[in-house]
Amino acid sequence: MTISMANMGKILTYGNMFGQGLIVTVLLAACTVFFGFFLAFALALMLLSDVRPFRHLEKIKTDNINVKKRNDFIARFNPVKLIASAYVQFVRCTPMLVQVFLVYYVVFGFVALPKFTIFGFIQFERFFPAAFALALNSGGYMSAVIRGGIEGVDKGQTEAARSLGMSKGETMYHIIFPQAVKNILPAVANEFVTIIKESSICYTIGVQDIMFNVKSVQSATFIVAEPLIMATLLYFCLCFPTSKIIEHVERRMRQSDNR
Amino acid sequence: MTTDNVMISVKGLKKHYNYGVVKALDGVDIDINKGDVMVVIGPSGSGKSTFLRSLNLLEEPTEGSIFFQGKDIVNDKIDMDKFRQKMGMVFQHFNLFPHKTVLENLTLAPQVVKKANKAEIEKKALELLDRVGLADRANAYPVQLSGGQKQRVAIVRALCMEPEVMLFDEPTSALDPEMVGEVLEVMKELAHNGMTMVCVTHEMGFAREVGNRVVFMADGKLIEQGTPDQIFDHPQSPRLKDFLGKVL
Repeated sequence: MTISMANMGKILTYGNMFGQGLIVTVLLAACTVFFGFFLAFALALMLLSDVRPFRHLEKIKTDNINVKKRNDFIARFNPVKLIASAYVQFVRCTPMLVQVFLVYYVVFGFVALPKFTIFGFIQFERFFPAAFALALNSGGYMSAVIRGGIEGVDKGQTEAARSLGMSKGETMYHIIFPQAVKNILPAVANEFVTIIKESSICYTIGVQDIMFNVKSVQSATFIVAEPLIMATLLYFCLCFPTSKIIEHVERRMRQSDNR
Repeated sequence: MTTDNVMISVKGLKKHYNYGVVKALDGVDIDINKGDVMVVIGPSGSGKSTFLRSLNLLEEPTEGSIFFQGKDIVNDKIDMDKFRQKMGMVFQHFNLFPHKTVLENLTLAPQVVKKANKAEIEKKALELLDRVGLADRANAYPVQLSGGQKQRVAIVRALCMEPEVMLFDEPTSALDPEMVGEVLEVMKELAHNGMTMVCVTHEMGFAREVGNRVVFMADGKLIEQGTPDQIFDHPQSPRLKDFLGKVL
C-alpha cells in the first residue's frame, strides 16, 4: 500500500463529506459535554449528599464497642450516594462501545425516535442516541471532576460561612460554588477535547461523523490510507488548538487569583 | 437554667475519636458569664481548639451538654444556623472569602441570613471597618491585604452579625510578629466595650492584660482556672507550673 498525492487529490473531491463529518463531530461533542455536565453536576451533588436514614443510630449510647461500631456503620449508609457511585462505577468499568450499543439497540430499540434530519445531513434518530450515550458516559467521568472541584475548596471556607449562621445550601451557593468553578471549568473544557476524539466510535451506529465519512470515502474510492490521514489531520486540527486555548485561559484564570 | 449572668454553661463535655481511643475533650465543665473575657491556654493537643469549636458545634461533641440561652444546644432540637448567628467566630487562618471584596465579605452573611437592608448593612460595615482602621480597603480583595489586615477584617465580619459572644481560635498564631499587635489592639477594644469573649491564644501578655479569667487545659481536661494573677503568679497544679515554665 502506498500513499500518493494523486490519491490525496482524489479524496479531496469528497471534501464536502469530510466537512459535514466535521460539523457532526463538533456538534456531537458539544451536545455531549453540555448535557453531560448537568448529569455530572447532579451526580456530584448526590455523591456529596448527606442523606442518612439511619443516622439516629449514631446517638445510641452503649458500652459495647462492637455494637457501637455496628450502629455507626449502619448510620453511615447513604442510599443517594450509593446510587450515584454505583452508576459511576458502571460507566467506568464497562467499555464505551458497549454503552453506545446498549443505548442505541436496547434503550432506543424500545423507544421509537422521530425520523428527521437537521441541516439536511444529520439523522436525528442516530445522532440523538449517540449524544445520549456519550453524555451518560461523560457525565459519569465528569462527576468525579466536579466533586473534586467542590471538595477542593478549603474546609475553612465552609466553617467560616457556617459560623456566620449560613445554612448548608447558602454556603454552597454563595461561597463554595463560585470558588469551585475555577477548579471545574478547565477540566470540563478538556472533557470537550476528549469527547471530540472518543465520539469517533459513534460511526458504528451510523452517526455520520468524521469516521463514518472516512468509511464512505474508502468504499467509494477503494483508497484506504489517505482518508484515514485526512481524518487524523481533521481531529488533530480540532483538538490541538482547542487544548492550547484552554491552557491559555487556565493560565489567565490562575493569574486572576493574585489580583 | 442558671442565673442571668451565665451566658454559656458547659457540662461534662466530651469529644472522643476512634471509639474513645483518643479523648480530645474528657469531661469539661465551665460557665462563661456575660462580659467575661476568658482566655484558654495550654500545650498543643490539649483540646483548647476542640473546646472552642464545640461551643458553636463546628465540632460535634460525643457527650455532654452546652446550655446557651436556656437551651441545651447539643441534645435539644434546635435551629443550629439561628444560634450560630449569635456566636461570632474568628479563625487562625482568617478564612476570608477570596472571591469577594472586603465589603462583600462583611455584608454577605447579614444580607443572606438576616435579610438585612443592603445600604444599611454597608453603612454599618464601613463604620466598623473605620474603627479597625481599614476604611480605605473596603473594595480590596483579601489577597491584597496583609495577614494582620485580614484578621481585622475577619473580626469585623463576625461583628457585623451582632453576636452576643465572640470565639477566637488562635487569632494571632498565623501572623508575622509585627502584625500581632494590631490584631490584639482590636480585640482589646472589643473587650473594653463589654463583649463576651472566649479566646484560645498563646499570647500570654494578652491573657494577663485583657483576660478576666484564664483557663488552663491539658489532655482534654480543665486543669485550673482563675484570674490572671492566680494563674500566672500563683499556679497550683504541677502541669500548669511546668507549662508556664516553658512559655514565660
